[in-house]
This record gives sequence, C-alpha cells and structure tokens, in this order.
Amino acid sequence: MSRVLALVTDAYGGQGGIAQAARDVIGGLASNDAVEAIDVLPRHAPHETSNLPNKVRQHSPESGRISFVVKALRSAVTKRPDWVFCNHLYMAPLAAIVATLVRAKLIVQLHGIEIWKEPSPAQRKSLERANLILCVSRDTRARALTHCDLTPERAVVVNNTVDPRFAPGDRASARAKFGLRTEFVILIVGRLDAKERYKGHDLIIQAIADLPSFEERPVVFLIAGDGDDRKRIQHVAEAAGVADRTVFLGLVPNSDLPDLYRAADLFALPSTGEGFGIVYLEAMACGTPSLGLAAGGVSDALANGELGVLVAPDVEFALALRDAITSRPVDPVQLSAEVLARYGANSFTRRLASVLELMH
Amino acid sequence: MDGAPDMCGLNGIYAYNVSASLPDRRELIATRDAMAARGPDGAGEWWSEDRRLGLGHRRLSIIDLSEGGSQPMTSVCGRYVVVFNGEIYNYPGIRIELERQGYAFQTHSDTEALLHLYARDGRDMVHRLRGMFAFVIWDNEARTAFLARDPYGIKPLYTANDGWTFRFASQVKALLAGGKVSRDPEPAGIVGFQIWGSVPEPFTLYRDIRALPAGHTQWVDEAGPREPKPYASIAQMFADGAAHPAPCDEINARVRSAALDSVSAHLLADVEVGVFLSAGVDSGALLGLMRDAGQKKIRAITLAFQEFQGTPEDEAPLAAQIAAQYGAEHIVRTVSEAEFQADLPLIMSAMDQPSIDGVNTWFVAKAAREAGLKVALSGLGGDEILAGYPSFRDLPRWVSLLRIPAAVPGLGVAARKVLSGLGFGSNNPKALGLLEYGGTYAGSYLLRRGLMLPHDLRNVLDPKTTASGLRRLGLLDRLRASITPMPASALSRVAALESANYMRNQLLRDADWAGMAHSLEIRTPLVDINLLKALSPVTPVLKLGAGKRALASAPVTKLPLTIVDRPKTGFGVPTGRWIAELSSVPNASKGAASRAWAREVVEQHVVAVDRERKSEIVVEEVATT
Repeated sequence: MSRVLALVTDAYGGQGGIAQAARDVIGGLASNDAVEAIDVLPRHAPHETSNLPNKVRQHSPESGRISFVVKALRSAVTKRPDWVFCNHLYMAPLAAIVATLVRAKLIVQLHGIEIWKEPSPAQRKSLERANLILCVSRDTRARALTHCDLTPERAVVVNNTVDPRFAPGDRASARAKFGLRTEFVILIVGRLDAKERYKGHDLIIQAIADLPSFEERPVVFLIAGDGDDRKRIQHVAEAAGVADRTVFLGLVPNSDLPDLYRAADLFALPSTGEGFGIVYLEAMACGTPSLGLAAGGVSDALANGELGVLVAPDVEFALALRDAITSRPVDPVQLSAEVLARYGANSFTRRLASVLELMH
Repeated sequence: MDGAPDMCGLNGIYAYNVSASLPDRRELIATRDAMAARGPDGAGEWWSEDRRLGLGHRRLSIIDLSEGGSQPMTSVCGRYVVVFNGEIYNYPGIRIELERQGYAFQTHSDTEALLHLYARDGRDMVHRLRGMFAFVIWDNEARTAFLARDPYGIKPLYTANDGWTFRFASQVKALLAGGKVSRDPEPAGIVGFQIWGSVPEPFTLYRDIRALPAGHTQWVDEAGPREPKPYASIAQMFADGAAHPAPCDEINARVRSAALDSVSAHLLADVEVGVFLSAGVDSGALLGLMRDAGQKKIRAITLAFQEFQGTPEDEAPLAAQIAAQYGAEHIVRTVSEAEFQADLPLIMSAMDQPSIDGVNTWFVAKAAREAGLKVALSGLGGDEILAGYPSFRDLPRWVSLLRIPAAVPGLGVAARKVLSGLGFGSNNPKALGLLEYGGTYAGSYLLRRGLMLPHDLRNVLDPKTTASGLRRLGLLDRLRASITPMPASALSRVAALESANYMRNQLLRDADWAGMAHSLEIRTPLVDINLLKALSPVTPVLKLGAGKRALASAPVTKLPLTIVDRPKTGFGVPTGRWIAELSSVPNASKGAASRAWAREVVEQHVVAVDRERKSEIVVEEVATT
C-alpha cells in the first residue's frame, strides 16, 4: 500500500483546468487499491473543500514560497510518502527534492504550454528524475521528450477527462435559459487574457463577418469568459461589423456551463495554445459538435478529427468554419457516448490505474 | 526450419491507450510494403478482433510459397500470433524437444517453434534461442505484445511510441512511410552519427523512433510499452570468460571446435550456402570449415577493384589461392568507379539509417545475388572475438600509459586547448584528445573508433544540437555500459567494446540493409552466442595474432601462412577516394575522406527522406481524390 504526498498549485476548491486535472488525478489515485492515503498540500487558497474523496486529506494552503517549501519538507519527513505527486512543472524541482529526501517515487503531471519553451535546468532534471510523467496529450509528451532526456516509457499520456455533469440534455430549455430563439449559435469558452491571445476569438469574428446567417438563422457568436482583453475584442467585433451578433456573457458560473454548451450549435475554440483542451470534451460530452485547430494537444481532444472538426494549418479558417456550420447535424447522444468511451471517468480511471503499474 | 532463408520485414501497430484512435489499415500496409525489398514474394496481415492491433509481414520464400510458413502465423489454439525475421539455428533440437512433450507442429518452419516455445516458457523463451532474430508475439488473451531481439543485434527492430499507439517495424524508413510517426529530430542520433559514422542504438535520427536494443525484450500491454529489459549481455559473457581463462595450450582446440560447431549450425538450410571470401583469415577459415562440415558444392565471392590491381590491397589473387585449396568455385566480381557512381543513389535509398560504410557489403551481396545465391556466410565478427583489430594492441597500451596523467582533473582539456592554440593537430584532430580520453577504456575506444571527438562537433553541427545531443547521447557512459560488468582482462574489454559498438551499430546493421537490398541473407558464424560462450575464456589469453593463427588452423586443411601473415587490409573499397573525388577534396587523408563520406551520406540521406516524404504526400493526394 502506498502513501502519497501531493504537492499541488491548487486542487479541491480551485478554479480552472489545472485544478480540475489535479483533482482528477488525485481522485484516480484515491480509487486505486494500491493507494492507502493521500495528503494534498495546495499552494493556493481554496474556495471550498467539501466532497473530498475517501483517503484524501487536503491541508491548508501555503501561498508563500518559503513556507510552502518548509511545509512540503516537513510533511515528507512526517508522512514518509512512497509516492510524491506534483501537478505542475514549476513545482517539480521541489517535488524532486522531497522525493529524493524520503526515497519516494516521483510522479509529475505536465499540461501544455509550461513545457513549450525550454524548461530551466532544475525543472529538466526533476523531470529526468521522475518515475512517471503524466502528459495530458501526445503533444505535451512529445515536447517533454524534446526538451528532456527522458526514458520514453516513463512519459505516458493520460488525457484529461470530463466531469459527468457534462451530458446531453434538453437543448430547447437550455436555449431559452440564455434567451436564444432561432439563432445559429457559435460558442467559445475561455479567459479573455491580453497576455494569452491565442484562443482565437478574432478568427471567429472575422469568419462570421461574411456569414450573417445559415438557413435563415442569424449566426451569432457567444463569448463566455472575461478578462482584460475584452475591450479589444469588442473593438474587433465592431470593426468587422458583427458587434450586434457578438454577445459577451462574462464569467459564466460553473453550474450554468452544461446548459450553455447545450444551447450552442457549434463549440469553436480555434486556439493555438492548448495542451489538451478540456472545454472541447465538455462541449462534446453535452452533445455539441466542436471545432479546433490542429495545434498543440487539440488533436487529442478532437481525436485526430474523429470526434470534432480539426482544422489543418494550411486550411483557411473561415472556410473550415463555414463547412462546420453547414455540415450535417450530429446526434448529441452518440457524440457524447463516443467522447465518454475515450475520455469518460471510467476510461480515465482505467488508464491511470494501468500506468501506475509502470511504477512497480 | 523450412530451410528457405527468412528474409523478412515485420511490422505492427497497437493502439494500447484506451483513448487512442483505432489503427488505420492503410498505415499498416504502407509500412509493411515499404519493406518490399526485404520480402518481395509474400505479404500478410493480421488484426485482433477489436482491431486495436494489426500485424504485417513481408516474406521472401524461395522453395514453396504454398507451405504453411507464411506470416503472421497464429498458433493452433488461436491465442498467440507471431511475426518473425531471422533464423533460429537450433530449431531442429527445439522441435524435437517440443514434439516429445506433445507439441504438434503444423509446418516445417522455425516460426512455429517460437509460438510453441512462448506458450511453454513465456518470456524466458529467449534464453533457448541460438540465432539471429527479431520477433513480436501477440497474446490475444492477455492482450500483450512481447518483442525480442537477438543478443548481438544482428536483426533489426525499431519501435515508435507516441503515448497512444505503439508501432514497430524492421526498418526506420518503413515506420516513417506509414505517415503517422513524427519526424522530429533526435539530437543524440545526429551527434552519434557524426562521431561514429553510424547511429548508435537505441537512437535513430528521429526522437520518436528507437531501436529495441540488442539482447533485450520489451513488453507492451494496456499501460503501454515497458522499458526494454536486457536478457543477454555481451559484456557479461566476456566477463564470465575472463574470470575463467583457458589454458594457452587449449586455444587451438577450443577455437576449432567452437568455429566448426558454429559453421555447421549456420549451414542449416536447404538452399545452397555461399561464402564471402576476402584474402583474410576469417573468411578463408569459414570456407575451410564449410568443407569440414560436409558441404560439397561451395561458391565463394570476392570483390576486386581496378584501382587495387597489382597492389597489396588486391584480395583477388590470394582469395583465388584459398578457393583453390578448398576446391570452391571462385567468383571474382570487379567493381569500377563508374558502377559505384551509378549505384550510389540505390545505396543511399537502401540504407535504412545513415552509415559511412556498407558499400563493400552492398557490392559483395550484389555479386552473390548475381551468382544466384540466396544465403552467404560472412567472416564478420572474427576480429572482435579473436582480437584481430589494432585496437586490441593500442587500447591497453594507451590506458596504461595515460591512466595517471588523465586522472588529473582538467589537464586533458587544458592540454588540448594549448596544443590546438599552437596549431598542433590540424592534420589529426583526434591526437589532441589523447590526454583527455586516453586514460580509460571507454575514452580510448572513442579515440580509436570516433571519426571526431566531441569538441570537433562545432565544425559540423549547430551549438544547440551539439549540446543537447551530447547530453542525451551520454557518450562515455554508454561506452562504459558496454563493458559493464567489466571483464578482468584487457583484451576482453576491447572485445566487448568492439562487439557492442562498432560491430553492432555499424557492421551488422550494414550487413542487414546491404544484404536485404539484394534479397540475400547474410549469416555470420563468428557472431554467434554459442561461439561466444565457448571462446570468451580464450579471448583473454590471446597473444598478438594468436587468435587468427588459431582460426587459420581450425580447418582440417589449414590456411597457408601467406594468408596468416598478411598485414590486415580489411575488406576494402576505394570509397574514400571515390567520394573525395566526388566532393573534390584534394589529397584526402583516410580520416578526412571518411568525414567527407559522412557528410555526403547525411546529405543524401536527408534528401532521400525528403523525397520519400514528398512522394508519400503525392500518393495520399492521389488516394484521396
């Protein structure tokens, strides 16, 4: 039976994809018979820490760098973990020291853009020391292998999974909830961060400028998410003459997201910076067709184009979007089932359990 | 064994990750058929019921295509499926043993023996095999794939894992031809090629493609591929031998008995087996031992070059003498520069990974094929096990001389920089590294065999590739690993270094692609695990030249002294000169010529790969329109 010390940015109670991914892995570990107990040390303050899985205990956060290091080392010595899990490259050097100190095996999770540039020597060495590197996509794994001298068999792909609350549902009532009537709805979900202008809002705005309607349904663009790039995007929409068809929803509460996906006819995220892209899974699990660019980890999320539309780099985006809009509607239930077969909770747990076998 | 040479290409795709897409049949076929030269006569494929695993195989069969030896081969119970490339020389004994235990054989092929052996012994089966092999066995019940490669690495096996799907094939180029494997570069492979003139395994020029190392097995299940596991170590066998050295008066008897046993085993075939004959001891002794083993008709192939006529490098006259002595039919094949130039594009395209050698094997295999031979013995490996190379003299000398000064930290690097600053070493850049590397066996082996040393790389590669390539390659660590456990004898250390590096990555790989390009099976009786076990106690006690003298006297009719005492020239080809002419390098020294050839090979290789990629795109476009 193994004891696990999890050094994480945030997990239970955290917002965003990284925290979600950490919860998924910790939950998967907790459901594994080989795991006895998991102590989670988060760096950031959680909003809520209820509903923790059995065997999991999340300690209070330590946002200070030094206090976190001290707490990590102290926990290592008192808890004597067999495995140290770390959910972010930035913390991997610390996790490597902790693991070495107590002769534990080291598991590091890699997401995406953190490994797109060359890691620091300390980060590289910590990955090279790791017994198992959980990569959220083939692309992330390839980049890790490029930058680090890894034993290839220790770098494994455990794709992100999708929460069961994303499922097909009543699409008509979902549309009504967001005040939608006959419009053809293109939805994007993501932060509007001026520093992360890779999500591709601009691409969609430009593309729908020449596409006012489809089968007499006005084509509208719903933008969920907020951030300091919002003003600029508004200007882009005005300049393109589609301000009246571009709707800024702001930050949509988590609980409303499934209905938002169900309300959309097409989920489009032409992003060039996704390590995987959980949002595609969320949309498709709700039965909504999805479109992304063949860049980064999106090829995994859209399964080489078998689950959604994967736009190749040499294809004009506006044409691809038009094709996606005019293509035959998909059966939401079937799409959702196909997504769950690959990325559902059962597949994720089975995959994680099988790669943990590599540690023995 | 059905006796027909098993010149084969094997491949497979396994979508092991639950999230992975199903393999594309077009990819399996494209990879398989990129190996058509390895097996032009037969092609097979097999798919698991859920189509998450596909196996492909190409076969050249000479005797009878209708017999049951075709592959992929499924066991009678349906549980196991195998794809196999190579020869199991102790197949008859294994078959008898298995039949006694009630295993029923449907065919006369050694392929079927692998299935039964796996069913009985599981992964331990590899310890029973004598031969050259690469195979993959799929267990349809456990849903696992078992890969294995022979201890010396005579037969190739490459793998590619992208985190979803595991692929394997006999050739790097075949994996690329499938169109789904990344072509991202592997700096360790690029740096390794510049240093050695061949790409050191497990690396290839591509990050995602690796060789299954010689003497290793690999296990693949739902979790993905496990780290390759060693089951046989050349260093270990030399170390075992060095721990129990043979008495000097037994050298000749041991060499004779081991070599005759190996040659006999390698003659197992029901097609004619020929021999490559140079003017050296190794191939001459093989010919004599073929006679002793009872082969009646023997044809021997010798290469000759106009440039060498009348010089000591011309092997034809002495080879003729040997052939006459053993009553072999002698075929002398003269190769001209014009033929070399004409064949160069073919050589480059047959070369699976870049190599600065193999041209000699290309032409001798071509000649054997022209003579209608399908199988030929080669004396490859004699220098390694019988201490024939100059390295057996030089390395121990350098190490004992330089051990103490080389141990002074920084002295070697400082000496190199000072001497280089003073202008020394412009003709022989490696000499500058003597103090830096000469103090250890690994280091002096690099000095002896390297085309260039790490500090010379800046002249040929960009700094980033150099730095990351050297780090990933772990040049000296890798060399040290090839003499771990360290044999107690100096000669055994050199033998292990030569066998697990130059011979494995260069000579054997060249023999594979150059032979396969002509659908000729090259067998190497002096690269044999039983021979190694028998002779590893002999290697440490060989005085200078004693190994070759022992081999020369192994046949009942001994080789003449003119052969034994002839200075070593190797199975030479004036390639260096021809290439130097091609790239107009004036008065090229041997080292400079091989460096020029290396550059030429890299350029040609990259061009060839590029061209293939373009033609693939065209094919895809045609297929989709």
